[in-house]
Amino acid sequence: MIASAAQLHQPVAPGPPRPGGAVVIGIGNPILSDDGIGWRVAEQVEAVLRARGDALAGQRVHVRRMCLGGLALAEALVGYEHAVLIDAILTGSTRPGTVYRFGISDLPATLNTASSHDMTLAGALATLRRLGAPLPPDNGIRVIAIEAEDVWTFGEACTPRVARSVARAVQAVLDELAARPAGQTASADL
Amino acid sequence: MTRITIDPITRLEGHGKIEIFLNDQGDVENCYFQVPELRGFEVFCVGRPAEEMPRLTSRICGVCPEAHMMASAKALDALYGVEPPPAGKKLRELLYSAFYVTDHTTHFYALGGPDFVVGPDSPAAERNILGVIAKVGLEIGGQVIAARKRNHHVIEMIGGRAIHPVAALPGGMSHPITEEQRREILDIARQNVEFAQFTIDLFHNVVLANSAYVEMITSPAYTLRTYYMGLVDEHNKVNFYDGLVRVVDPDGVEFARYMPVEYTDHVAEHVEPWTYLKFPYLKKLGWHGFVEGKGSGIYCCTPLSRLNAADGMATPLAQAEYERMYETLGGKPVHFTLATHWARIIELLYAAERMVELAEDPEVASPDVRTLPTKKPTEGVGIVEAPRGTLTHHYVTDENGILLEANLIVGTTNNYAPIQMNIKRAAESLIHGGQVSDGILNRIEMAFRAYDPCLSCATHSLPGQMPLEIVIRDSSGQVVQRLSQNID
Repeated sequence: MIASAAQLHQPVAPGPPRPGGAVVIGIGNPILSDDGIGWRVAEQVEAVLRARGDALAGQRVHVRRMCLGGLALAEALVGYEHAVLIDAILTGSTRPGTVYRFGISDLPATLNTASSHDMTLAGALATLRRLGAPLPPDNGIRVIAIEAEDVWTFGEACTPRVARSVARAVQAVLDELAARPAGQTASADL
Repeated sequence: MTRITIDPITRLEGHGKIEIFLNDQGDVENCYFQVPELRGFEVFCVGRPAEEMPRLTSRICGVCPEAHMMASAKALDALYGVEPPPAGKKLRELLYSAFYVTDHTTHFYALGGPDFVVGPDSPAAERNILGVIAKVGLEIGGQVIAARKRNHHVIEMIGGRAIHPVAALPGGMSHPITEEQRREILDIARQNVEFAQFTIDLFHNVVLANSAYVEMITSPAYTLRTYYMGLVDEHNKVNFYDGLVRVVDPDGVEFARYMPVEYTDHVAEHVEPWTYLKFPYLKKLGWHGFVEGKGSGIYCCTPLSRLNAADGMATPLAQAEYERMYETLGGKPVHFTLATHWARIIELLYAAERMVELAEDPEVASPDVRTLPTKKPTEGVGIVEAPRGTLTHHYVTDENGILLEANLIVGTTNNYAPIQMNIKRAAESLIHGGQVSDGILNRIEMAFRAYDPCLSCATHSLPGQMPLEIVIRDSSGQVVQRLSQNID
């Protein structure tokens, strides 16, 4: 019953990515106002990649939406070389709609990257790496966070200032994909 | 783009916050565990077709979408007055058992277990799954991840998606499974039983074999005498998916046994001015403040509560371990909050065994998985046991099935009063004459963690593992000490 290396090395979904593949994950609760901003941005990123009409887009960059943090989020990165996470953040110190970029090493606890039921994303990544799972290197995991205003009220729409940040956040995600480490340049992928 | 540094205290604001007030002697006078509540769920739901509810409510939080989907589907069965065919019901329970295996496994190895396996006084940085791996071996970590993966696969096969399954409909399920899938699930279920047995052995070898741990589990600081609630089958055995709600008193004597639709006769909610979250209590006993014992309406529903409220487990291996737990801890009911960890892995074993039973039944692969609703909808209540407590969904609709009212009592909310009382008790044992013992944060966290409170339902954005802030104030209200867990 010991898990084989092969079992651990497969991503849960949506199927084995090709080497060099990237995953973009919008994180949050899509029915909790600004908490759903990660989903909105991910939807737009997917639309942009599709519109570019590159046959490779679907194969080299997977776009997903999730509302789980911790271990489940780390498991979703298995098998990829590059990941961009999009999430809401509440610093309370900047204008709602402000777009931040973080590396995983200075990842703040955005609203959803951690889980109160297992561990932080950093802890989960460390655990999976310890178990030999192929994960993106730290410099291959980037976080685009958007300052939220209301993450307490059920609703499918973001507040106006946060909603207006979508285009800027989408561009930030595309920039991150384009700036992938040497050897994995994004131009051919997008 | 701005680069910022975020102060952990700032982030904690508005999240799990514990305020401890001391009296003139410097002992604990009062304790408040505050959580902000999400707003507007009912407003969000009203006016929508009721059949959207299994998908909508499973979005309330990302931790137990399967539980919301099941409670919602059962509420819809009741709303439309329709009984799912046997295969539809069995498929739901099979999916739900796989979910329990995943959830309880993750809790034990990543959250609850590290306190014991690594040790309650070890540094917080080591009290995690990596610490467990360091102590008991790398292959254990692999087994935890493999268990999650194979059971997510089961959830995907039956529920349509691994995360946020969508297949439950009023009257049953949207699609059957194939005979081949049934055999695959049976194989997975058998692996689960083996893994659950391994987990129980680990608990015995590491926790119960250590007298210091047993002493801590049975210490007054972690003891609370309340009523206990849980779903039971017709033989009063623990059931997660279906049955009657049974409540026993602090002596273990049956106090109530009722149908889900009767819940409003039995449970009411108390409001305190200092928190948005309500405190459910047993209506017939009334609210008498944060007091334990037979006269108080405070009840608890956790894995331990479910075992206390039942007469046993419906599967043989889990039943044997159930008996072993009560023999070891001095008979029923057990009031030791930390024994919840033991109860949780007994439930893990039951869920695994139940999966085998269901997957062995050829009927589970029958194509007859749904009874089409034909009656006009009016009102329906659905109750399941979520991993963190009894979960109630209650809908009222017009004759077109459009929601007029929706009420939810989520698992953790049931336990809000006991959590609050457990925290206070742990604080009382660690603060004397104004002196705050080292390690109070860890010890209070342990009381808190036994419940695995899912504040995601009540509050959403808990940013870390256990992002509690504890503020201790003297009798004049001045802050004496402020403690918080670092979030990396």
